[in-house]
Amino acid sequence: MASAEGGAYSYSLTVFSPSGKLVQIEHALAAVSSGTTSLGIKASNGIVIATEKKSSSILIDDSMIDKVSVICPNIGIVYSGMGPDFRVLVAKARKSAQAYWKVYGEYPPTKVLTQEIATIMQQATHSGGVRPYGVSLLVAGWDITRGPCLYQVDPSGSYWAWKASAIGKNMVNAKTFLEKRYNDDISLEDAIHTALLTLKEGFEGHMTEKTIDIGIVTVPSQAELEAGKIEGTGRVKPTFRKLSEEEVRDYLAM
Amino acid sequence: MDISFALTGKGYVIVAADTTAARSIVKMKVDEDKIKVLSPHLLMAFSGEPGDTVQFAEYIERNIRLYQIRNTYALRPPSAASWIRRALADSLRSRRPYSVNLLVGGYDTSTHTPHLYWVDYLGTMSEVPFAAHGYGAYFALSLLDRYHDPEASLEDGLATLRRCLDEVAKRLVVTPEKYKVKVVDKDGVREVEI
Amino acid sequence: MSDRIYLGLPGLATDVTTLKEVFRYRVNMYTIKEEREIEPETFAHLVSSTLYEKRFGPYFIEPVMAGLEKTPSGAYKPFIAATDLIGCLNFAKDFVVAGTASTKLYGVAEGLWEPDLEPEDLFETCAQTLLNAVDRDAYSGWGAEVHLITKDKVIKRTLKGRMD
Repeated sequence: MASAEGGAYSYSLTVFSPSGKLVQIEHALAAVSSGTTSLGIKASNGIVIATEKKSSSILIDDSMIDKVSVICPNIGIVYSGMGPDFRVLVAKARKSAQAYWKVYGEYPPTKVLTQEIATIMQQATHSGGVRPYGVSLLVAGWDITRGPCLYQVDPSGSYWAWKASAIGKNMVNAKTFLEKRYNDDISLEDAIHTALLTLKEGFEGHMTEKTIDIGIVTVPSQAELEAGKIEGTGRVKPTFRKLSEEEVRDYLAM
Repeated sequence: MDISFALTGKGYVIVAADTTAARSIVKMKVDEDKIKVLSPHLLMAFSGEPGDTVQFAEYIERNIRLYQIRNTYALRPPSAASWIRRALADSLRSRRPYSVNLLVGGYDTSTHTPHLYWVDYLGTMSEVPFAAHGYGAYFALSLLDRYHDPEASLEDGLATLRRCLDEVAKRLVVTPEKYKVKVVDKDGVREVEI
Repeated sequence: MSDRIYLGLPGLATDVTTLKEVFRYRVNMYTIKEEREIEPETFAHLVSSTLYEKRFGPYFIEPVMAGLEKTPSGAYKPFIAATDLIGCLNFAKDFVVAGTASTKLYGVAEGLWEPDLEPEDLFETCAQTLLNAVDRDAYSGWGAEVHLITKDKVIKRTLKGRMD
């Protein structure tokens, strides 16, 4: 009954194998590794997160696919792995961000939201009747205390802060590529180009504004910070946004 | 109609409460103990709605005991009082609140200081040198303002308490015939005759 | 609440203690979780949402808050706020008042307060406002306590008042 690779220990998530592994989590990581490549790069004045969005048929309207999601005005995430699982996490993360806003009157710092998501993902590894989320995430955001931050969250619920990272199919190659390309004082513009170059490395087919999704974190200027909330709306200026197809096209052309 | 007093002195707290259990205008009992010994160095005088008083006091008594069994040592007076207050404050906003007023007196064996807390049924708490609940308060507080001495010996403390009891006997229309008086100090809790 | 946030809780004594404990708990949890000190404005929102949690069985408290908030450039800016018993926030630029003497406090503060007072002048304004309002109020009195919060230090002064 038990699958060949997991043996008797793949029945229940809550059972450790004698070697100390939770095989379902490893399977989840395998699902991530077969997912499309996503990456994130932290620049001196912002962050870029990007992914390829492949569609299985030319008949699919790919302008409607969202692989980079805005969670709150200062945080966005991208994933590799299972789309439906990601959607559930996005909904939970957005809800968590709004709940935080309701209590504190501001949106959560990147680290707090990342911890929140990581907790949700961790719970799926030892709760009854559920399987782990089949996604790894890159969480990018800006907050007043820590500035721009890039985190990766895995199905196990572990998370790390990165200067640059890649997840999904070509993560090993992409990371090697990023290691060669990365330096601490890279600008956001350069980071976006590096992100595109990295994606191109393992890209199957043609890379266009339709087949990639990009989100960027910008750092507000001192003047913008001092000005505080925007007159009229009473909201702070968003620091995370997705790039439009036109913007992506321009970057690809450069 | 319950009357209770408490006062601190040099290294001790005296807690006194009348012993009458009444129902309407009828005395049912004249040897009721309204001072619980919560732990080796903690006393609690309770008064208020009949029924609530004993129920609440026993609930507190058992939980303080439970803490002691679990942790092998007793809560110190400030922590115990704080917990008791919270129990009352939570009860206040429940479907049926306890109407119980308390005087919590204890001796802190770690810092060697006596502590006395005045707590009412709303969960209002304040640490005080002397305190009273019930009609006795109207007579005793002014006397205690005048005669209380935090450095007084036990004999002097008991004499001050005597003044309060005598004043109540003299001026209050319906006066209790007997009081139970308990003392807590470094040696623990004991009952004294007055 | 912290080195640079002060909270006044006029109202039902039992709720004063309970809320003091609740806010101590929530601020400590915030500090640990977020690895940073809570800002006055954030704290004000926390106070508001804590009170609104009990919208249909409120704590009988009308809090006032004062503190120094860190601006993006690292300087400190005075902050005051107050809420009603269910947490409706009032961020005022001039003054906030609460308690049994609030009606009188409004009058005196309106008369004495002026913008950009120096610390010691602000103290005098605050002390006089409080003392005079309280003297016209039957329910409050027995002296006052004033905390003067500046970026380097907090001065606490205990004022003598009428003892009746």
